[in-house]
Amino acid sequence: MVRRSVLLIQTSELKILLRRLFIAVLFFCSIFFILLSTVDSPLTSGINKAALRVTGPIMQVVEYPARILHRAYTYLYDISRIYMDNRELRAENKQMLILQNKVRSLEVENQLLSRLLNYTPPPEANFISAKIIAESSDNFTHILFVYIGDEAVKKGQIVLGEESVIGRVDTVSGQYAKVILVTDINSKIPVVVERTRARGILSGDNTEMPSLIFTRSTADIQEGDVIVTSGVGGMFPAGLPIGFVSLLQSNEIKVETLADISRIEYVRIVDYGLSAEQVKIFDDSSESGADER
Amino acid sequence: MILPKAAQMKDSLYEKWRLFGLHGIPLWTTLLLMFLCLIPSDLVGISRFCPTVGLICVYYWSLKRGYIFGYISAFTVGFFMDVLSSSPLGINILLMMLTVFAVQWPARYFQSASFSINWFIFAVVASGVFVLKWLLLSVYYKLLISPNEIMFNYLATVLFYPLVAAINTGIQKLLPQERINE
Repeated sequence: MVRRSVLLIQTSELKILLRRLFIAVLFFCSIFFILLSTVDSPLTSGINKAALRVTGPIMQVVEYPARILHRAYTYLYDISRIYMDNRELRAENKQMLILQNKVRSLEVENQLLSRLLNYTPPPEANFISAKIIAESSDNFTHILFVYIGDEAVKKGQIVLGEESVIGRVDTVSGQYAKVILVTDINSKIPVVVERTRARGILSGDNTEMPSLIFTRSTADIQEGDVIVTSGVGGMFPAGLPIGFVSLLQSNEIKVETLADISRIEYVRIVDYGLSAEQVKIFDDSSESGADER
Repeated sequence: MILPKAAQMKDSLYEKWRLFGLHGIPLWTTLLLMFLCLIPSDLVGISRFCPTVGLICVYYWSLKRGYIFGYISAFTVGFFMDVLSSSPLGINILLMMLTVFAVQWPARYFQSASFSINWFIFAVVASGVFVLKWLLLSVYYKLLISPNEIMFNYLATVLFYPLVAAINTGIQKLLPQERINE
């Protein structure tokens, strides 16, 4: 009887010890993951890909009823505004027709000048439209999850909103992709000020307005200047608009993005034919850029 | 004589599985709430005003039902928080497990405390978690992250606590009190 009770006590003590050991292992795992994230490890990338494959369909299912409700609301709202919209569209159409004629004449002029300069146009980009299925609203992170279906999307491809750059593809797994927005802390894009061609890096800092860094102190930058991609590094093609300078201080330049991400339903993922090496070079350069700071 | 014994064993096995399923409800509902918070803002109409639901749930469940929502559940919630964000893998796992550690040890003292006291304690625990996260991410990125945005996220999390706690209280009423015999 005594022997049995001693055995029971020993078993329960062993259970407590094993439990504590298991908790310690879990803590160790979390620290190990953090350390592993500091290097570009295939294990963390594999875990992220596997997780995206599992969570993607769940996010799509959760988003579906919300999307239906939103569509019903928008439909009713649009009906109530149909008369006003029609009048505005007629006026806009008149202006567009004038602009269309101007564009046609500019196109012809451009072709003639290109021929004179023996200019070789860059290859045309392919793009796919992808639906946003989820958006991380955490202030520590600015990312989107999109449904890409069976389209071939690669890491590093550029993501456009209605007309401007909003981010780049970070992870692709199955029919889903994770997009890092230009406002996210992991985002570093080489840019130029369109008016003065002053170069810099647009660096996300998890605020709504990314910062323009690594610009010359003598650079002529004014509030309202449009910021476009510079094409340096080969990651993004040159000349794509991103935003405009909205805050100019002695030690900080803040850029407001042109796209209102909270209103975007679909994005365009553009393939400019970037090779895997170029993507790797960009990753390395953005990491070293972060290190310099 | 054999048949009733077999039936008894079957019943006990069924009971174990039933309890196991019911005890998993807090974790599944936490994950579901986290996924609901990922609904695109063009549908919700509110931009970036979402609390850290995972933290609220980890605090609530580890306080109220620590024996069914422990370190493994916190690890799972933290893991999903990491993969559903751009944070480095492991940061949220560590923070959620530390939350359980901070809550479970003194839980017996304020488990039956009033709602307002629990809310206050949550605000204190959450402030610690947010400061630690801010420090860890600043060290990770070698960059001082703007505290304004984090403050905003913290306030949203504290303000949303009553709503998430009310949902969890409703779920808690459905859960049985008994534990699985080991």
